[in-house]
Order: sequence, then C-alpha cells, then structure tokens
Amino acid sequence: MSLRTTPFHSRTAPLSEGQAWRRWAGYVVASSYELSHDREYHAIRNSAALFDVSPLYKYLITGRDARRLLDHVVTRNVAKAKVGQVLYTPWCDTDGKQIDDGTISVLDEQTFRMTSADPTLRWLHLNASGLDVQIADVSDTTAAVSLQGPSAREILQLAAERDLGALKYFRLTSAKIRGIPVTISRTGYTGDLGFEVWVDSGRAVALWDALIETGTPYGITPAGMLALDVARIEAGLLLIEVDYFSSRHALIESQKSSPLELGLAWTVATDKERYNGQAALDAERSRGPEWQFTGLTVDWDSLEQLYADVGLPPRLPTQAWRASVPIYDRGGRKQIGYATSGGWSPLLKQYMALAHLGSEHKPGTDVRMELTVEHRRKQAKAVLTPLPFFNPERKRA
Amino acid sequence: MKYDAIVIGAGANGLVTAHYLARAGKRVCVVEQRDVPDTSADIGWIPDVVIRDLGLSGAGLRIAEPDPWITAPLPAGGTLELSRDIRRSTEAIRRISPRDAEQWPEFCGRMHTLAGVLQRLYLAPAPDIEATDARELSRIAGLGLYVRRLGKQTVIDLARILPMSIAELLDDWFENDTLKGLLGALGIWHLKQGPRAGGTAFNFLHHHVGSRLGVFRPARSNMTQALSTISGVEMRRGAHATVLAKNGRATGVMLDQDGETIAAPLVISSAPPRATLEPVALELDPEFARAVRNIKARAVVARGSLSVGSPPPYSTLCIAPSLDYLEHAYDDAKYGHDSAAPYVEVQRTDGRVELHVQYVPPGQHEKLAATVAQVLQVQPSQVQLQPAEESLYHGELTLDQILFMRPVPGWSRYRMPIEGLYLCGSGTHPGGGLPGAAGRNAARAIL
Amino acid sequence: MKQYDTIIIGGGHNGLVTAAYLARAGKSVLVLERRPRVGGAAVTEEIFPGFKFSMFSYVVSLLRPEIIRDLDLPRHGLHILPLESTVTPMENGNYLAAWADHDESRRELYRHSPRDAEAYDEYGHLMHFMARAVKPILSMVPPDPTSFAPGDLAGLLKLGRHFRGLGGERLHALVKLMTMSSADFLDEWFETDVLKATKSASGIIGTFLGPRSPGTAYVLLHHYMGELDGVFRAWGFAKGGTGAVSEAIASAARSFGAEIRCNAGVSKVMVKNGRALGVALENGDELRASTVVSSLDPRRTFLQLLERGDLPDDLIGDIHRFKFRGSSGKVNLALSGLPKFACMPDGGPGGRLHRGAVSISPSLDYVERAYDDAKYGEFSRRPYMDIVFPSMIDPGMAPPGKHVMSIFVQYAPYTQNGGWTDARREEFGDAVVNTVEQFAPGFKSLILHRQVITPLDIERITGLSEGNIFAGELALHQLFFLRPAPGWAKFTTPVRGFYQAGSGTHPGGGIMGASGRLAAMTILKNGT
Repeated sequence: MSLRTTPFHSRTAPLSEGQAWRRWAGYVVASSYELSHDREYHAIRNSAALFDVSPLYKYLITGRDARRLLDHVVTRNVAKAKVGQVLYTPWCDTDGKQIDDGTISVLDEQTFRMTSADPTLRWLHLNASGLDVQIADVSDTTAAVSLQGPSAREILQLAAERDLGALKYFRLTSAKIRGIPVTISRTGYTGDLGFEVWVDSGRAVALWDALIETGTPYGITPAGMLALDVARIEAGLLLIEVDYFSSRHALIESQKSSPLELGLAWTVATDKERYNGQAALDAERSRGPEWQFTGLTVDWDSLEQLYADVGLPPRLPTQAWRASVPIYDRGGRKQIGYATSGGWSPLLKQYMALAHLGSEHKPGTDVRMELTVEHRRKQAKAVLTPLPFFNPERKRA
Repeated sequence: MKYDAIVIGAGANGLVTAHYLARAGKRVCVVEQRDVPDTSADIGWIPDVVIRDLGLSGAGLRIAEPDPWITAPLPAGGTLELSRDIRRSTEAIRRISPRDAEQWPEFCGRMHTLAGVLQRLYLAPAPDIEATDARELSRIAGLGLYVRRLGKQTVIDLARILPMSIAELLDDWFENDTLKGLLGALGIWHLKQGPRAGGTAFNFLHHHVGSRLGVFRPARSNMTQALSTISGVEMRRGAHATVLAKNGRATGVMLDQDGETIAAPLVISSAPPRATLEPVALELDPEFARAVRNIKARAVVARGSLSVGSPPPYSTLCIAPSLDYLEHAYDDAKYGHDSAAPYVEVQRTDGRVELHVQYVPPGQHEKLAATVAQVLQVQPSQVQLQPAEESLYHGELTLDQILFMRPVPGWSRYRMPIEGLYLCGSGTHPGGGLPGAAGRNAARAIL
Repeated sequence: MKQYDTIIIGGGHNGLVTAAYLARAGKSVLVLERRPRVGGAAVTEEIFPGFKFSMFSYVVSLLRPEIIRDLDLPRHGLHILPLESTVTPMENGNYLAAWADHDESRRELYRHSPRDAEAYDEYGHLMHFMARAVKPILSMVPPDPTSFAPGDLAGLLKLGRHFRGLGGERLHALVKLMTMSSADFLDEWFETDVLKATKSASGIIGTFLGPRSPGTAYVLLHHYMGELDGVFRAWGFAKGGTGAVSEAIASAARSFGAEIRCNAGVSKVMVKNGRALGVALENGDELRASTVVSSLDPRRTFLQLLERGDLPDDLIGDIHRFKFRGSSGKVNLALSGLPKFACMPDGGPGGRLHRGAVSISPSLDYVERAYDDAKYGEFSRRPYMDIVFPSMIDPGMAPPGKHVMSIFVQYAPYTQNGGWTDARREEFGDAVVNTVEQFAPGFKSLILHRQVITPLDIERITGLSEGNIFAGELALHQLFFLRPAPGWAKFTTPVRGFYQAGSGTHPGGGIMGASGRLAAMTILKNGT
C-alpha cells in the first residue's frame, strides 16, 4: 500500500530536486522538478516541456457498438468522427450537467480510447446495457507523456524518424520510436504546439530515455504540474474539481454546470442522435445559458495602487491558485460571480483568472475581483477577457 | 391496418387494458407470445368495477371461492379445515388450540380492516409523494384522513404490522404450528423471503385484499379465458413483441419471427418491466435503466398440475406444517437450491388440480418432482411442474417495490420515460395476485 | 429526608447524560446505579491483572458531538481516538481492506472490482445525503401519528415537509434503506461479495436478523452519520475504553452538582394517584423526588419498576411484544503478542492492520449461515466477528508488550436450545477462538486469559433484558414513534412525573446519548 508511482517514476524520481510531489488520481507526480517551476514553464512556450500524464484515466472501448455507446455518452458527434481523429468532449447527465471532460481517440472503426479526469468505467457500463461493446480500463497498462512547446514537433520527428508535418491538430497516428510502438496524438493541455505519446507501460522508460536523448539538444525539459497549471490557465482550459464540479459529485444543484455555461457550446453537437442530456441542453441553448465561463484580466494599475496604499510594491501569486474568489460588479457591491483559478502569466505579464459570471456580462466589462492585501479585503479592477489568453498560431499550424 | 395502441401480452392485465382502451374507441391490437389462451387459473381478487365495466359475468367468468378454503394435515393425524364461517373455523381451531380459537375472530377482523386500506390504495394509482399539485395532495390527505377515521388501532397496526415479519405477527396472535404454518404461507407467497423476514406481514395482507372476512387464500378464476372471449380488440397470437422507440418516442413493436413491425403511437406492455425496457435502454436515462435492472424479480415458485384419478376430497390442501418448516424451505433457496422440503399447495379448480411449489429458485430441478411427490405422498409421475425463471409477479412484493416504488421509484404512474410507452402488468402498482387491477389503473392513466 | 428534583434510575451513559443536562439546568439530581460502578454496558474493567477491557460496548461511533460540547467532556477526560481501517480476511487467503486514505482504499477495492471501486464513491455520495436526511430525525421528539393534538399534527407536518424536501430520488433511496435487506441494497451497487459481506455485517449488529433480512439496510447509514458531525472518522475508540466515556459524563454531571450513588439498586417506583413520588431501593430505603427517570430498558422500566395497575393494558401488551432477543456475545482476550493473520502476515505497512478493525465476514453466505444457526436457537458455529486490539490504540490497556483483543461476536442468541450453561458458554468461546485461528494460525497459543460473555451474562451483569445491547432491537417496527410503544415514544409514561431515557426510547442504539439528551430536554420543557 501507499500511493502508486507511474511507469516513468524511475526516471522522474531522480530529477526531483525538492521532492515536491503531488497526488493525481492515486499516483504521485512531480509538482516541479527544479526548486522553482519557472524554467519548466518557459520551456512550454520556448522549447519543449515533457510531462508525465500517465495518471489520466484511460479506457479502451471496442466492438460493433463502441461508436454508438460513445456517441450516446458524450456531447460531441462521435458518429461522424473519422479514424485518426481525436475529439475533446464533455459528457453530461440527463439534466445536461457536466460530469467530466476528456478526449476520445478514434483508433479504428471499432476501437476508441477515451481519457477522463475521473473514473468513468462504471458510467460507461451503465450506458452500455444491451450494446455489443467491450470496455477495458487500460489506465495502468498505458503510459503517456505530453511533449509541449514550439520544438515539440522537431524532437518527435527526429525520435520517430518520420515527418509529422501532416499530423493536424487533434489528429493521431501510430509510429515507432526506437522500435517502440506508440500512438502520437497532436493534443495537449497547454494551448501550444504539442503532442501526447501513448505507450505500453512496459516500454515507458525506454520511450522517456529516447525522447530525452533526442530532445536535449533542443532544450527538452521535464516539467511538473505547477508549470502546466500556468499554461492551461493561459490557454483557458478547464480543470475538473477546480473550475467546475462533476455533476455526480456535486452536493447541491448550484454546484453543477452545463457545458454551455462552461464555454463549451462548440462541443455540444446539434446534429446527432439522442445522447445523455440532449433534451436539457437543447432547451438551455434555446433559452440561453445562465452562466458563462470567461477570462478576467486584473488591471495592473489598480493592483499596484492597492499595494501602494499600504506602502508595498505589488505582490503577485508565485503559483497558479485554485480557490473561490468573489467577483463584483464595477460598483463593487453586487457579487456577479466567482473566479476559480488564477495566476500570473510570465509570458503575457498579466494577472489572469478564470471565472464564472452571469451570461449577461460582455467581454470588456469592468468588474472587481476580491484580493487580500496585507490581511485586508480589497477589490482590484479587472476586465472580462475572452478565452484563451494565449493562442499561438503554431498550436494549429 | 392502423392501430391506435398495441398491447403486449394477453394475460389478465394486458387484456383488461386493451378492452378498456377499445371501449374508449381506440383501435387496439394485442400481441401474445402463446399460441393458445392460458387455461390455468387466475389467482387473486378481481376488482368488482372491472367485472362490471367489461361485462365479464356475461363472458363466462367463474370465480371459485371454495369453502372450506383450506385443509391442512395435522401432525397427530386428521386435518384442520377452515371455512368462511368464523364460528365453524373457531370450533375447528379450538380442537387444536383453545387459546388460538379465542383469538381467531378478532384476528380476522383486524386483518380485514387493514386489507381494506390496501384495497382502497389499489383501486387507484399509487399516491405520488412528490406531488405538488393540489389534487394529488388532497387525495393523499384524504387517504390519511380515511385511515385515521378507522381508528387509532388501525393507524398503529398499519405502521407496526406492514414492516413486520409474518412470523412475528402470527407469534403475537397464535401458538399452534399448523395454523401459523398455513397462514404464514400466504405471507411468503411469491417472495424470496422466509416468514421471519420483515415485510412478509404486508405480503400476507396484500393477498388478503378482496377476500372475505376470515378467508386467507385468494379467489381463483378463469378471468383470462373469459377476457379472451370478449370481442373488440384484435389478437395476434404466437408472436413475441419487442418495443420500438426512436428519439424518445415509442413507434410500435417488432414481431420476432419475421421482424415484421407494427406501428402505433401507443405501446402498452403487460410483460415484465425489465424485459419491456431493456431493448430500448439507449432511449432511457442511464440511472432509470439502472433502476429497471435493479428490480428484484427472483423466481421462487414452480406452478404445475397433479394428475389424479378421482377429484381429491379438498379444494385447497396446504403443506406448510409450521413457520420453521417454511423458514427451512427458504434457507435452501437462499443458497440457490430448491427446498428439500418445499411448501406445497394443491388447488382444485374447475376439475383441474394445480400446484404451487415454493421455493424453487432458477437452476437445475432434477429432483423437484420427486420431492413434491414425496411431500404429497403421490407418485412422481403424477406431478408436472413448470419452474419459473423470473418472479411470476414481475417484481417481488417487498416494501421497497410497492406503491410509488413500483415498478421503479417515481415511475408508478404506468407512463414510462419514453413517450407513448406504458406498462400495465403485475410489475406495476398494485402488483401481482390482483388480476386486472393494474390493467385498469393503467388504462385510466392512458385515457 | 432529602427531596430531589429528579432521581434517575440507572447510571448507564444515557442516564448520566440526562443527569448532566438536568443538573446543568439547575436541578438537584440523584443517579442511582445498581452496580459498583457507573456506565452500564459502557464500562472498562481490569478483568485480568494489568489487562483492561471495554467489557461490553467497545467502539464509539455516534456519541452526539453536541453532547461532547455541551457537557465539555474532553475536560472531563474524554478523548476519542480513530480506528483507522477495517481488514476482512477471506477464506482463500486474500483480503479486503478499507484504509484511512481514499486513494488507497480505492486502489484496494479496484483490485477486487474496478467497477465497485467507482461505485463506492457514488454510493458514499448517496449515503452522505441519506445520513443528512435522517439526522434531524435523530434529534427530534417523535410526533404521535395517532394523536390529533396540535403539537403532534405540527410535528407530522414538519416531518412530511422534511421528507418531501429531499426530492424524489433521495426520498426513494430512503424508502429503500428503511425497508430493504442490506444484501439486496448493496447488490444494487456492488459485485464484490466480500465487500457486501463486510458492509452488511454492520447492518446486523445487535439485531436478530441476517444480511438478507429486510430492515437491515438502514444501519448502513450509521457509518456515514458520524462523518457529518465533523468527526474525523466514523468509528472511534475512547482512550481508557468505553468506561472512560461513562466516567467523563459522570464527572461532568457531578461538576454540575449531580449526585451519583453506586451499589444502589432500585426495586420500585413509588406511585400514588397516577403520579411518581420517588423510588424504593432494594435495601428498603425510600427516596423522594418530583421527577423520576428510568434509563433502564422498556421491559424493566414498565413491567418491573411499576405495578400492573399503574399502566393501561394496551401499553402492557405493547411492552410484552417489544422485541429484545439479544443476539451478540463478546470474547475478551489477554494476549502475549499480536496474532498474525494469514492474509497479511506482516500486518500491513506499519502494522496498521492491528490499529483498525478486523472483520470476520468473508462472504455474504458466511454471515447468512451464521444467522441460520441462530434462527434455530444455536450460537453460530462460525460467527461473524468484529475484532479490535484496543492496546494498539491506547497502550495503557495492557502491560507493555502484551495486548488485549476484543471480539464482538454474532450470533449468540439469548434463547439457546437447552439454555445457556457454563459448559455451553465455553463451547461458544471455543467456537470463536477456533474460527479466529482459521484466519490467524497460531493465534491460540498467544492467549493468556479469556473471558466469554453471552447475552445471558450481559443481562445478568448489566440488567439489559435478554442481553440486547441496544435495549431493544433496532427494527423498523420498533423505531421512532413506535419506540418503545405507540403513544409513549415521547419519553413520558402514563405515570405523571415518571420518564424514560434509555436506549429503548427514540432514537436508541450505540453509545449515542441522544435518548438521554432528548429525555432531559423533554423533562425541562414539561416543568417537572
């Protein structure tokens, strides 16, 4: 007993300078390898960062009705998805409230890999009654790394000894890296050019070594969760249990959100067969969602002033934070929502936050975010900013 | 041919629903798996209103209410025979237990009052405890008031007796094993529970509904046969029907042999809820589908017949000599075996001699006929049995599966979450052993 | 002669709680305890030199936190330590463990069934809601549905509103919990037999029911009830044994001015013109008080302390019908060392197996068969057992290096074919020890001393009728406004000034103190 380690642990453990680990789905993964996560963050935007994302829940869904099952479960149109395509998608309960989000990779006509943040095996089984489908939990047997950053393609091409220029955003291909069979998908959680590489757990270490060796001249940098957290906020990507609660874990109705309220309207297909939550989502779409999920940019001058008032230079969060922070209207009296994640973008030089606000507030609207300055509650000026904060062309190019 | 409604199953409930709909001007087709009408007796009280509305008396309906209603062998030889006449029963009981004889009249009265409360609940849809509309609330309040008017004792009895075990209830009243055994048997009818299980007192009262004062065996009738002779609905026999649904709407049924489909905007199934809904699971909320899968409908009864040279000298013979006998019979079933010493009841109706054998869980039954023959002291070749694979009631009558919990919690109003799809069988409120009650309630809900 | 405001018969934890609350409200209170020490079934005794045992009740799960706060019990020495885990050895040498850490427990269950590992969280989620739904009922005086009194009608309405407020899904789940067997309820969620066995075992404790008997699902909630109150973990062990709980409450009661007299058995409540005047002691003394409270079980409260003529016939009938049917026994062992369980010989990382409970419930059929024996008047040949090693949590319970082992055993029916005899008690003890030996080979050689307690012993020592540890079975038809009898579930009795406060009243069960507290509230509200 004790927490589990990932298949890459024999490589990641010696790198950890400060023994800064955190839990992820019952595994331990590095928070950061170096004592500060700064360099790991910059690698994402400057060269290439290598993340161990093995703790993701992974399921292999096969069989004649595999496509039908997934199409029934998620909001994206899986029926139309082509082999080699990867879909990012949420999935909902009957009331159209979001249970989780993840990806579906179409490996072949009857083989799909689904990733999720929460365990999903039981939900798939609940939905699979009467269908000709096999569902296997491959979380432990499939390891995964994410290689993210401007140099990611170059490194991977060298390692795989093939051109990946044709591999488009959210497409996948099988390949061999030093003889190790892998699946490469052009996906990630950083909003940058990047890939995820899926491999049998038994070959994980060899894959790691190959990537490090090939990537070192290009500045490949193993990176931990702290760096990832900053990047995903810049990219405006949701984190379950932080930015929203699974409707299956919510204790009260108001803790639940629909994909339409989470800025995921684009993932809710209108041209598909009956799926979980369809009626509720159709109705919500036609009446308009009550909430929106948006970015906030804290006004620098306002922040500086709050600190100046007590005789201090402005203090910035050294890590991305995960908390519930009240957001008020510009008058500062009426609460209009709450922020759930936030942090300083070293690249954009911006204090950003992800927030739930009433859907009536438009981009550019001035609001106030609560801030504690020297033990006292203050309000900083902030402005509604469409997501993502950072969206480089190379992501899709 | 265009139909307004398709009814799946030509049992008592299916036919009752079909005929109510037909009388309301609907064009109805009934699809039945069997080639010929079922001739075995229908067991249980038929609501008077169904007999009247459908003119069943004119259709040859015969209801057997034998008197004496039960005969049970006594350990020392001879039999105990109980009759409608309370005084005669009291005298019969006095020969085995003067103390029990004293209790008999009051016991019969109290049970009859409680069964009367259930009867009232059974003639209408189950109270909707989540309701917010004034009509339903006042109906619930009316029920509450009705019960309180029956007196303090009835309120207490209801609260205390319904969750009780039949063994506890009978131990409170009686001391004689033969008497407790034959009464206790009614408490475990069609249940995968022993007489010491909570809720069996309710099951006892359920099966007392509609019976005369002092009679603790349901009536037997040829109701299904009588219904089969009434015209007004079209029959398709020898075809197994599967519900078809698309985008949340029932569209008709598919017949097994040739995949032929019959379209209709209304599909009403008297088949077990699970069998009805499983083929359309993708149209259902996964949690609802899960609730359907969780319906407990475990087989425990084998029905059959006994070949005899001359009619036996009793109308109903009960072999359940004590509560412990029943409990031991249940113990075997708990671990998946047929009872080594089962509870056997022999019912003579219309010249046929039928058998009820409990507990017979699904599985191998090589020795069952021999066991029953031994219990009845007849030749094994005289015993013909059809062990069931699923509860003949389409859902056990346990406290978690009655009223607003039947067939699944919150969906007791016959309507299913697929538009145009209804249930009307014994898997719905008020359940098995009351032929036509669910069928009538369902028809009224549809209309 | 001194006139007290209140005399409380019985110094068990409920009696003491009532005493403390009344004394705190300024009443002069006298508690009369028949035994030489307070606590009733919650006592710690040094049965063998150097080895201390929570003789009967051995875990604290539901002691109401408001009582701990109101009576400031930690100041009086109460310290409840967590029982960290439960390990269930299986017959095939495998085991199922529930550890303190969620990830670890999940991983462990995953080993048995990936689907169950997920279902477990959702199940916990539902049970959390159910516990919240039931909790207010525990701290409410049950309204009488047969009465037309405004208070009762208002109470019923409030109850109705409460339940309707839960919403359909949860209301239905509650109906299921109240009516189903724990085996059937768990079948809806899980496929792992040993998990269902271990969970359902908690549903049968103190009842004369098996895991497949309807009415046992409700007790599954208890585990979740504790968590709601901000308790670190649901099951706890009081430092110094459960007697320390009683001592702490007694100390609190004394600090508020209550007087506690031991070796003072009460023979009768003195009644004149339908009003209680005081009590007569077994030694012939008479003591007067304007209010008399019995914390004894309903049978002794109504049929022993009062005369038949003091009570209406239907109440006497109801109390006669009230079921006790003690079904559990206890084996207390002094050990020279810790036993090694074959399924986990090293005792798990850090030896954590012995810091938690070991549940001998390897399969549903195992527990059900244990019940079958009891149904027909025999103790279980292979019983369900809940084992803890209190000396691992509180080293003060045994000499250094030695251990005490507490084995709660079910079933041991009070009514035993041929009756309980000394020989039969030892046979029972042998069955227990031999069964443990099958899971922990070599364990028998560690036994230094052994104490075997049958339900008859529980009755003889504590007075609990038929040795029922809950002072009356916790069955659906003996709960809420039916506990102990319809019309008399509000702590009052037909004798004016005479109240009931024991576990035989609502909500009853376990070292909870809720009955005693509610009784005190009722008495204070009624004046005298």
